[in-house]
Formats: sequence, structure tokens, C-alpha cells
Amino acid sequence: MADDDVPQPSSQYRREAFKASAVHNTSAQRRRQLAVAVGKEKREALIRAKRLCREAFFEDNEVSLERDMDTDEEKTILDAQTSQTVDDLKSALTYHFLLAFINLIGLVYFNQNISGKGATQKKVETLRELRRLLSKSEVPPVKAALQAGVIPLLVQCLAFGSPDEQLLEAAWCLTNIAAGDPEETKSLMPALPLLVAHIGEKSLVAIAEQCAWALGNVAGEGEELRNILLAQGALLPLARLMMSDKGSTARTAAWALSNLLKGPHPKAASELIKIKGVIDAIVQHLRKEDDELVTEVAWVVVYLSALSEVAVGLLLKNDVAQLLVGKLAASESLQLLIPVLRSLGNLVAADGYMTDKILIVGYNITEQLLSGLIKCLKNEHRVLKKEAAWVLSNIAAGSIKHKELIYSSEAMPLLIHLLLNATFDIRKEVAYTLGNLCVAPSKDLEQPSIIVHHLVSLIEHGCLPGFVHLVRSVDIQSARLGLQFLELVMRGMPNGEGLKLVEEDGIDAMERFQFHENEEIRNMANGLIDKYFGEDYGLDE
Amino acid sequence: MEIQSNGEEGSSIGFRGWIACRRRFKPDDSFFAAGNIERELLAKQVALDLTEDERYQLQKMEIAEAQLVFCPIAGCAARLNFLEDFEDHYHTRHTASCSVCSRVFPTSRLLNIHVSEAHDSFFQAKVSRGFPMYECLVDGCGVKLKSYKSRQQHLVDKHKFPTSFEFYKKARPSKHQRHRYQRRHASHSKEASKDTDMEIDTTKSKRASQKYRPRKLTNTKQRETEMEVEESVNDLIAAVSKLSTSDSSPSSISFGHRHARGFAFVPRSIRQANRKQVSQPEAKE
Repeated sequence: MADDDVPQPSSQYRREAFKASAVHNTSAQRRRQLAVAVGKEKREALIRAKRLCREAFFEDNEVSLERDMDTDEEKTILDAQTSQTVDDLKSALTYHFLLAFINLIGLVYFNQNISGKGATQKKVETLRELRRLLSKSEVPPVKAALQAGVIPLLVQCLAFGSPDEQLLEAAWCLTNIAAGDPEETKSLMPALPLLVAHIGEKSLVAIAEQCAWALGNVAGEGEELRNILLAQGALLPLARLMMSDKGSTARTAAWALSNLLKGPHPKAASELIKIKGVIDAIVQHLRKEDDELVTEVAWVVVYLSALSEVAVGLLLKNDVAQLLVGKLAASESLQLLIPVLRSLGNLVAADGYMTDKILIVGYNITEQLLSGLIKCLKNEHRVLKKEAAWVLSNIAAGSIKHKELIYSSEAMPLLIHLLLNATFDIRKEVAYTLGNLCVAPSKDLEQPSIIVHHLVSLIEHGCLPGFVHLVRSVDIQSARLGLQFLELVMRGMPNGEGLKLVEEDGIDAMERFQFHENEEIRNMANGLIDKYFGEDYGLDE
Repeated sequence: MEIQSNGEEGSSIGFRGWIACRRRFKPDDSFFAAGNIERELLAKQVALDLTEDERYQLQKMEIAEAQLVFCPIAGCAARLNFLEDFEDHYHTRHTASCSVCSRVFPTSRLLNIHVSEAHDSFFQAKVSRGFPMYECLVDGCGVKLKSYKSRQQHLVDKHKFPTSFEFYKKARPSKHQRHRYQRRHASHSKEASKDTDMEIDTTKSKRASQKYRPRKLTNTKQRETEMEVEESVNDLIAAVSKLSTSDSSPSSISFGHRHARGFAFVPRSIRQANRKQVSQPEAKE
């Protein structure tokens, strides 16, 4: 039984590690060096729920002269990066350099004598330079900028009535400052009310979108900041923004909302679903072909379905399940499949309504969902396999018809293969599915009856070692699961076959629990041994 | 999973059997961690152009942080993650085997207790003189009892051990024996001759077989055990006086790790006493 706990790198990775580079590939080399140099910090930046704004999505009137300056600068930065550590990098763009910029802006802004269009233009241009500095590399010099006092300046720049370009650049700077580590994100506190305000319906869409992005980064930091944003009334304007027709706007708003909804407190979710027009907007967007938009909206559905019962009901009533199932079946994009699959998982897990009233065996939606799930089981990606198995396990906890449907489908050989070969987390979910297929739905307080022909078939196909392996695992839940399955085998297999099968390997695994610190497991294992291998067992003459 | 109460005969073990039910997870549950990380990676991939190498590093990091757990053997507290092979840890740290009878224990403390109780004549001598020698099996408890049975009772009362727990375990019967038993039993009707069969068979088998000790001792068996112990103590005291190093040679040679042949777990001197009384030959494997 191959145990794939460590993901194997693809062969391409192996090749890269060993081949001598025949062709001198400078940029690839440099990238690799950059990766090594930036290392841990970059990794953390990658998995943060915050996103750097690197490119303009609005019209950017740049003078060509400035563009040349850019590439030179970029080269300097890249060189610096490749030869230094991250800290050195930050000081390469020195404190003094930034201070000079900021002072210039401050000077221009506060100096009453210099007024008029020229001054404003200069101010905006300087601000734009600052923004560029904060957008170039993957790890922008935020600390240096903060030390130089950039936040008070940017707050000033966000004042009501300021020119649009100024608002835009200021919001963009704040976005990228907020994309850093927790301390950096928290530094945006003084600017929050203004950012929320500028998502108002009278703002230019581009500005509203940029402010939403900044708030999305802030919300992605943690619960504390989320609560502050909710208290400041960020939910309503973002929800309104999500109803926009413009794809990128709706997408950014949806992403920011998903970060805001994360909770774990459900209040944001319950409030959002009550806002008029939100459900309709969700439904509209889920119909579209724009994968990026559908992805972010699906994440909103993920959190709504996980945190709010009311939301689950409303979503199901508005036919969101069918839309999700359609996307699951049709799409090949991993980015899209993850939230779509998880939303469906949450809807199925939430209450029986989904399995009882929507996923009726024989209906098209049920067939579609099953084939979508099978597609995920076949997908090479671990996350899809695991969460698809989870959804299946919950469907398998439904009616007898559901169990028979899964049992007679293409899923079975896949599940059995995964049980014996996949990583631990996948095996656990598959075990739940297979076991659920073997017991009938239980009425209260009664021991559920065993569906013998399912059990026999599973054993025939070699599932038992997979469960014994679970019994041996460190994880208590899995050990309990394995023991419960062994009990099913010993109780349910005809002609006492169960005992013979389990004794091979199972007793060994069960005996291990004699000195286990968990009393329940100890009792379970000992109880099984005593009942099935105790008194009447193994007499001699 | 719900707690299930059963009055049925079939579930008299009080086992919480498999119930099929829906499982729901909160959004911040570690169950979703892998998917969340993947989401962020994919979102940034366009801008950052991750190489295969970097992806691999990230996956490794994520798996390693997945879940740290503690070794479940009471008193161990070793930290493991799902990557680490629990089997390896278990085998290196928790399998102590007795050099006399090859029985395997999960801790060296238990091994020492076993060796004293099962293979040490001096231990038995002190027992017969009334010293409390039987240690509580739970590390840190410190209580010592005067007899095996009273120690059992203490484990059940104080530490909630199941009544069926036995520290003295006879090894499992061989496959051959079990099949012979099953074939034999197929021809009897269970209800009718159950009790008598049990009695007769256990009497015979007490000397000859290897099996788990039954939960309920019948009266006959109890009396015999006590008699046995009395006689053997006398022999023991005699044996102690003749104690020499040659006595420490194993009474039975056992092959393999767990399936010891012969009376592995009853003190050798007791076994010797029995052998004198019983005319039947010991059962051979």
C-alpha cells in the first residue's frame, strides 16, 4: 500500500534540479535566485489572504520618459534583490529616498503659496512615483515608507473633494501597504473611515474599486480588523459595489466581501444576506462565463453557506445549487472548482433539505452533481479529491437510494483505489463515504442495520486493509472510524467470515490500544477483542 | 457521531457503532486549510510566476504545519505530525519485549512490571509473605496491591479500566486451533451444551491451551486456581532456597515476536507445579 504522505514533485522539478543548463537562461536564473533570497517571507506573502495591486485597471496616463526611468529602476531593484537579503533590499530603496518624496508631496500640498493646476499636477505625479515604488517588487519597501510617515500623508490625500487621480493613487498606495505583514496592515487604521466613504455611490467606479481592494487587504488580516470594518459600516457599500455590472469591480468587491465574511463570527454573513439585491446579484454573476468573477462570488457563497442558516435557505430557494452544479460539471479551472465544490459541500452538509428535496435520485441535477464529484476525484489535485470525498460522504449519509446510487456509479473503483493509496486526509474522507454506504439510515436510538451486499462487495474489493491502516493512525477520529468499521465487518459479514478476515491483521491493530490514553478508544478496542475473540474462542483439545 | 444506547444482546459491549450522519465544518476548520492556501497561491501565481520548485516547497510547508499531534500511548507525549510514520515511532519507543517470553509491551515500565510478576520467583515469594507487590499499571498512581485480582479491581474502580482487561494475557490461539474449534462448534448447538462445555473445556484447557482468559471464572476454576497457587507457593519457597543462576534460563523457547508457545505468562514455578500434577501431555502447536 503506497502511502503518499509527501507529495512527489513532478518530473519537471527533478529535471531542473539535476540538468546542467546548456542554455544560459538569465531571467529564469535570476528568478530562481530571487526565490532563494526572498525565501520565507515570500512564502508567507504568498499564502496571505491579501493581494498586491501591481497593475492599473484604470487608464494610466504615463509619459514615456517616466517609463524608461522605470525599467532602469526595475533593473537596479532586481540586481539588488538577487545579491542581497530582504532586509538589505528594503534599505536599498533608502529611507532617505522615500523621505524625500514624501516631504516633496507634503511641501507641495501644504504650501499655500504654490497653488493652481501646476501644483496639483506635481503633487499627483509625485504621489504616482510613490505608488510605483510600492508596486514594483513582490516585497515593496513598506517599512521604510511607514517610517518616513507615509500614512498621515495619504490620509490627507484622501480628503473629500480631492482630485480623482489623487484619490486613486493614494488608495493604491494604501492597498499595497496593507498587503504586507500584520503590523503594516494595522497601520491603515487612520485611513479606514475614508476608504469606506469613498466606496460611496457617487464615487468614480475606479476609485471605489481601489478602495475596496485596500479594504479587502485589511479584512484579510484577521478577526479584529474585520470587526472594526463591520463596525464602521463597510458591509453595505461593498455589497452595493458587488452589484455592479462592471466585471472587475464586481470581482474586487466580491473578493473583499469574502475576506470580510470569514468570521469566524457569523454576524457578517447574517447581515449580508439580509441586504436587498445581494442574492440576485449572486445569482446573476454565477450565470456568467467570466471565470474570475464566478470564482470570487463562489467564495462569498462558501462563507454564506458555512455561517448562516438563513443564507443556506435563501440560496437553495433561489436555485443557486443548480448553478453551482452546472459550473462544477463544466469548468476545468482549479481556481473555480475549489469554491464551487466547497459551496456545494457546505450546502449538502448544512441540513437535509439539499439531499431530501433537491438531490432526488433520478433528477438531472443529481446525476450532474455525481459526475462533477467523480471528475474531482479523478483530478490530480489533493484538495479537490479530499473535498469531493467529503461531499460524497454526506450524500452517502442520506437515503438508501442515495447509497445505491453511489454504490452503482463510477465512483466506487475510484474510492477504493484512494482508500488504499492516497494521502491520509483523503483516505479518511473516503473511509467515511464507504462506511456510510454500508449502514442504513438510523432511526433514533436504534442500531442501524447493515447493508450486507454493499459490505460484502467492499470487502471483496480489498477495502479491509485500508480500514485497518486507519486503526493504526495517530488521529483518534480515524482510529475510532477504523474500529467501527471492523465492528461492522465482524457483525455483518455472513457465515462468521468477518472474524476470520479481521484476525489476520485487525487484532494486532486493536491490541495496540490497551494502553492508549484515550479511555473511549481503549474500551472500544478491548470490547471488540473480548466480544469476538474472547470467551468462546480458540479452545483446544 | 451520536451516542447510541442499546439494550440489544448484540451490543452488550456498549460499543458505539457506525452511524451514517452528515458532517459539517466551520470555515476556519483545519479541514479547509489546504484549499485556502491553494486559493491564495493561485491568485498570486499570475503575477509571480511560481516555478514548480516553489510550489513544491510550499506544499511541503503546508503539510508539515497541517497538524501536530501527540503520541497517544499514555505517558509518551511525543509530538508527531501526519507525515511522520507513527509506526516507526511506535516501534522504536513503545515496543519493549520480554527476553524470557518475548511478549511485547508498549513501555519499559510495563515490561518491568511484567518481568517481576511473571518471571521473578523472588516476587512471588514476597507476595506469599503478604507484601503488596502488584503495582498499579497506571504510571504515576503509585498504589501497590497484594494480589493480581485486587490490582485488577483497583484498575477498574479507580482508573475505569474495562472489566475485561487482563494484564496476564495468554497468547492468541493459532489459526489451526481456531479453525479446529470453529469446525467443532459448528456441530454443537450452542445453547444446550454451552455452560457444560465451557466448564469442562476450560478445566482441561487451563493447563494446555493458549487463549484469552474468559471474563467470568466459574467456581470450579476459581477453586482450582487458588489451590494451584497455594501448592505452588510451597514449591516456590523450596525453590527459592535452591536459587541459582541456572534457574533463569527460559522454560520455553519461543519463536517470533508475539505468538509465544507454552505457558508464557504464568510464573514458571507455577507451571512446573502443574506439570507434576497433570498426566495429560501439554498440547503441542
